[in-house]
Order: sequence, then structure tokens, then C-alpha cells
Amino acid sequence: MVRFKNRYVLCEVLSEDPRCRQCIEDRAVGLAVRDAIARAHGDYGLGCCCVSFTGMKYLNAYTGTVLLRCRKDFQRLLSSALPLVRHLEGRGQRFPCALRTLHVGGTIRTCQKFLIQYNRRQLLLLLRSCTNEEERRSVRQAVLSCSLTEEQAQSGEEEEEDGTETD
Amino acid sequence: MAGFADLNVPQGADRKAVQSLLEAAAHLGYSAVALNHIIDFKEKKQEIAKPVSPSELFPSLPIVQGTSKRLKVLTRLTLVVSDPSHCNLLRSTSTNIRLYDIIAVFPKTEKLFHIACTTLDVDLVCINVTEKLPFYFRRPPVNMAIDRGIYFELLYTPAIKDSTMRRYTISNAISLMQICKGKNIVISSAAERPLELRGPYDVANLGLLFGLSEGEAKAAVSTNCRATILHGETRKSACGVVYTVKKLHKVEEEETVPACKKAKTQA
Repeated sequence: MVRFKNRYVLCEVLSEDPRCRQCIEDRAVGLAVRDAIARAHGDYGLGCCCVSFTGMKYLNAYTGTVLLRCRKDFQRLLSSALPLVRHLEGRGQRFPCALRTLHVGGTIRTCQKFLIQYNRRQLLLLLRSCTNEEERRSVRQAVLSCSLTEEQAQSGEEEEEDGTETD
Repeated sequence: MAGFADLNVPQGADRKAVQSLLEAAAHLGYSAVALNHIIDFKEKKQEIAKPVSPSELFPSLPIVQGTSKRLKVLTRLTLVVSDPSHCNLLRSTSTNIRLYDIIAVFPKTEKLFHIACTTLDVDLVCINVTEKLPFYFRRPPVNMAIDRGIYFELLYTPAIKDSTMRRYTISNAISLMQICKGKNIVISSAAERPLELRGPYDVANLGLLFGLSEGEAKAAVSTNCRATILHGETRKSACGVVYTVKKLHKVEEEETVPACKKAKTQA
């Protein structure tokens, strides 16, 4: 079957500065990753990885989750350059950050399934560090509503507590 | 599969900074971390202090994400040697060195590298990544080190920070790979801030840059680290081995002395 095979790399942006989360946007992360690939693999790497790299496929600023796409043959180049990302630039400010690969999948759907399970585990961890009863209730509610059904998939992924986020 | 371990977290004076490093490591998925004391002999002779037990320093260790166990914190000592007389410290049996879980040596010359691989009683040999190696690796000492169960350590934090360091790291790593074929490698960070740590899969991907294959790179972060920890434990505990073999001939009267072979490992 003739079809372009892609690899979707799911990453999480870790940072110390809480303001960095608001600055995470499409172009900033794309530029940072492209810069890291250029530094690590040069012009060849940049050319290979940016074939089907136009923009992120998914970005969640609350949790700092990013989904990148590249061709299957060049996934090693991309994965080995991701640890070298050190700064995110956006709106004239630089924030030190680190990218952590969560999952590499062949389709967006497998990455989505993984992300839902991962978020559910994160919510359970949040539950452990919840301080008052109302937060507990809303976290439990969010955990119960995570599921991969057609219309609820999106809402399941984005149920997060803004205030008591673990980094 | 063995859990992931990061065997080089520099022990700073600031407890809070180290605590935040430990929490970051647990969040990223490392099951074991070794706090590193670096002793440099170029300065005045320093006394090697007894290692502070991690449970005193950090009363509550964070839980590793993904499992439900606490982070394991070990103690490690790195000796930077540039002179053969510095190695005498390792041979003496009544110092505080014995109390560290892992002992590493950082040789600066070819002769010391040879001595470290063949005769010194260490667990790790650090490979310099921040400058061009003054010597080339040769096959005989490297093979002897692999036979003895000594692992070579590469750091990755300089590669993240600086571009020239990255070049030295990659060139030194590749020259090591060509000799040892990717065996007995441990990749660890020397991160001083929590943002310099990278998750274990990311470190395995960095290993691909260093010339390892994918399986070897993953082993460099997990199984080889576990083997180093076990090597350190056996060094601490085992001093001699008594091996008894029962003679299988018929017993006549009271002649039943079993033959015992005593093999002494290096103390």
C-alpha cells in the first residue's frame, strides 16, 4: 500500500517557571525544536525532519503536552535532537525548559489513547496531593469521565486542575 | 526489566537544590539515583568524609512516577586522579571509602587509565567529555575492564549545555565505542539543576547519537546501571569466597574432610 508512514512523538514540556506554560504556543515550540535539530544534525537533519513538520498536531498549554509529526525514517533524528531543547522563546521572553518524550506512535489515535491513560494517572497523583474536599470531588469526576468515546475524547484529555498542577 | 537509574547527581552544599533534583528525577521515572562526591587530588590532600546516609539528609524521598516505590538514593565517590600516588588511597582498607556504595575513578592519563581498568578496585571509570582526550583508548585495558565488570561512564549534561562540549562528547564517545563495541557503558547526567535532567528514554535516544545501537542505549540507562550497583554491593560485602566440594568417593572410616578451595578476591 502506498502511503506516507509517519511517526507521532508525544512530548511534555517541563519547566520551573509557571509563566512558561502560558507562553507555550505553536510557533514557539516549533522553532525551538527546529533549532535543536539544526544544532544537532545540521542542514541535513533540518531538511529531513521538516518535510511534514508544518505545525504541531496538538498542543495543550495547561498540561504542556505537544504532539509532533515526522516521517518514519527520520524519527530517530528527531528523537535524538529533542533532549537538546533548552529554551522556549515566545513574546520576547526566554524560558528555560526541558522536553520529555512520553510516547511515540504511528497514528494520532494511538497517541491519543496513551495520553488519556497518562492523564488519568496524573489525575490520580493529583488526587493524592489534593488539599480540600471540593478539589477532590472535581478530580474524581474528571477521572471518571476520561474515556475514548467519540465525542468525549477531547473533554477527557483536557480536564485538569489549574491550581494544583504537578510539574 | 531493571528500573532506570541516574548514577551521577552532584552533591552540592545546598540541600534544597539536591532535594528538587531528586524530585525531578523521581518525576521523570528514575528508580535510583546516586549522590556524587567528587574528590580532586590536585588541591591539598582532602580528608574523605564518611558518607552521610541519604535517609538523614532527606527525610521523605519522593515516589517514582509510574511505580509506587520510593526513589532509592545511593552514595557515590569519584576520585579525580592525575598521579599514581593518589591511587594508594584506594588500596588501604581502613578508610571511609569502604562505606560508599559506588566508587568511581576519573583517570587523566593513559597510564592511570590502564591501572584503573586492570588493577584498581572500582565500579566505574569516568570518561572525560569536556575536553579532547589526551590519550587514545587501547584494546587490552578496555577488554580487561569489561571482563572484570567495570563500566565506563559518559556524561550527557555538557552535551546539552554547550556546542563545543557536544562535539567533544560525541568524538570521545565514538572513539570508546569503536574499542568496546558498545558494551559496559553507563550514561548519566551531572545535572546541577533539575532542568538539566532528561528522562530515561530521552537519554537512551542521546545514546544513539553516541554511536550505541538502540538496545545497547536502553541498557546503558537501565541494566548496566543496575549491574554497577550490584558490583558496588559485592565489593562492599564480599571479601573472600569459600567454596566446598564434596569428594564423591566412598567414605572409609573417618576420612571425610571435604576439599575446600579458598579463592580470595582483592580486598
